Amino acid sequence: MEGQSWQLENPILGLIVVGAIFVLFYVVGYLSNRKSKSAKELYVGGSNVGAITNGLAMASTYMSLATFLGITALILQLQVPFIMLWIQLILAIPLITIIYGTSLRRMGAFSPTHFIRDRYGVTASIIAALFMILVSVMYALGQMIGIAITFETLLGIPYITGLFIFGILIVGYITIGGMAGATNNAAIQMVIIALMFIVPLAAIMKAIGATGWYFPPLLYSDMVPAMLDALPTFFDYQFSPKWYFSIIPALTIGALGLPHLAMRVYTASSLKSARLAMVWFAFILGLVFSATYAMGFVGVFATTTQGVTISDADADKLTIILNMVYNPEWVTALVIAGAISAGLSTLSGNLLAIGALISQDIIATLKPDIQQRLSLRIGFVAIFLGGIVSILLAINPPAFLVVSILWAFGLAGVTNAPLIIVGVWWKEANKFGAIAASVVGGIIYIIVSPFVFPSIVLTGHGVTDGMGLSGAMLAVPISFILLIVISYITNRMPSLSGKLTKQADIELIERIHGWKDIKAYRYNSTLGASITVVVSAAIAIWALMPWGM
Amino acid sequence: MKAYKKEVQFTIWMTAAFILVGNVGLIFSIFPVDAMLFGFPVMYIVPILMGWFGVFLLTLVAGKIGNRIDDDIERENDALGQADEAKEV
Repeated sequence: MEGQSWQLENPILGLIVVGAIFVLFYVVGYLSNRKSKSAKELYVGGSNVGAITNGLAMASTYMSLATFLGITALILQLQVPFIMLWIQLILAIPLITIIYGTSLRRMGAFSPTHFIRDRYGVTASIIAALFMILVSVMYALGQMIGIAITFETLLGIPYITGLFIFGILIVGYITIGGMAGATNNAAIQMVIIALMFIVPLAAIMKAIGATGWYFPPLLYSDMVPAMLDALPTFFDYQFSPKWYFSIIPALTIGALGLPHLAMRVYTASSLKSARLAMVWFAFILGLVFSATYAMGFVGVFATTTQGVTISDADADKLTIILNMVYNPEWVTALVIAGAISAGLSTLSGNLLAIGALISQDIIATLKPDIQQRLSLRIGFVAIFLGGIVSILLAINPPAFLVVSILWAFGLAGVTNAPLIIVGVWWKEANKFGAIAASVVGGIIYIIVSPFVFPSIVLTGHGVTDGMGLSGAMLAVPISFILLIVISYITNRMPSLSGKLTKQADIELIERIHGWKDIKAYRYNSTLGASITVVVSAAIAIWALMPWGM
Repeated sequence: MKAYKKEVQFTIWMTAAFILVGNVGLIFSIFPVDAMLFGFPVMYIVPILMGWFGVFLLTLVAGKIGNRIDDDIERENDALGQADEAKEV
């Protein structure tokens, strides 16, 4: 990796700060998880996490290293359209909570795949689990890359060395901590992230001369005239409404399929607590997201009006570079600690999801008689191996950190979200529809991504295809259509009725919505399913039409 | 029946409301506005404010209504005949 010119002059200072937070996280992880004797404790923290802790942990799990590194880089590259894209990511936990989170919490699920297994059977759940492992690894990969870049900046040590040393240290901490440790740590990490991002940003804004430095997330309008003079196009939307619309299937629906976010809802001590956690999540995430846009704005402002030069290769380091330029070294060291915290909290969520997916959703599904102790051990090994795989994949990283993460959102949106959403709300959905939706949708999404067949893409606009916006706009609706249509047809084929578990499905759906009786009219709307198919078909056709980019 | 209808309608309308306030940029890309608010272009600051405070307010509403619907479902469950309860539980 390049960018050696941007380094702390006194790396010892940075090391002390990062070392101190590592010790803190290890201690909290160890103390929180020493009683983890069951899978429920390991993966959902015993389902007794309070609302404020959980809300902060949700925000921190979601707010990955991208907050410190990738987002600002893409604001530097794409400017306002990327901010518009990022804003809706705040919808993830509220939508998960109201659409299916509370239902799955009522069911006592460890992961979304747990629901898919009970709802659609073993084959569908293993396919979904494999896709979710891919999603989680892609996501974890983004964090590993970011952490290695941060250490490279901090210490000036080669990217690969930093990746292996710190990657393994981090994976160790997550394996020791389990979900209880991850949740308590994530709540602490959220406070660190917010402070280490917003306070130094205030100092940068003060140094630049912004009068609203005392509340950085929103008070930087006095810099707008100078920005418009230097870069009149900064506020331009640049893309068509179609581009803005494609954000919904790719990222809004995509976030609904992310296992590590949904698992946070299941850790709540009650449904009321899960809903209150959603409120805390929205408040704190909105605060830090708004500060991120301000940081991106200040970054573009500094490069266009203040003579700060940042090369393309260094774009991911914008936040750290701005601190190096405008703040004392010890502040930059604290910002780096904040960035590491952000990476750690997300990585914990990803790796715990991988652990739950492999041990609970694949191995325990195939071998239901497995002993609890062995299952727990497999979980720990899976968490560790997931970390190692993401370290190995990070050896040759993509150019922009966030692109790989956002592409993973789309994959989750295609392969998992439809199965969960339709499965919770429509009794007719069955395993044939689910398998077809996940497999065909997933394959289409992968084929039209620029990573496998660079010539088969929908827009030809690198970042739009790379982030999965165009691919998800085609594949997500196809997935919904396949799930509904194939379920509807196969439910009416007498030859297949022996292979379906209609009564068990009906009972499960009534139960997870809180009902103690069964009524035929509930969650059985053919009209609702038909409207979903028609709207999905229109969106898929729109995705195939020229994008004009 | 009442609580079920409420649950379905709440989920549909609340989902739509969340998607709308989180994607104000989409609305402005269709209907551009050339004005300033609080010193920023409207098309920049309104999506940011809605994406924070709008979503925050909706979570408050969603939490309150969600809890109330849970109570309604519980009440309808309790209203079931004892024989039914014994059969279904």
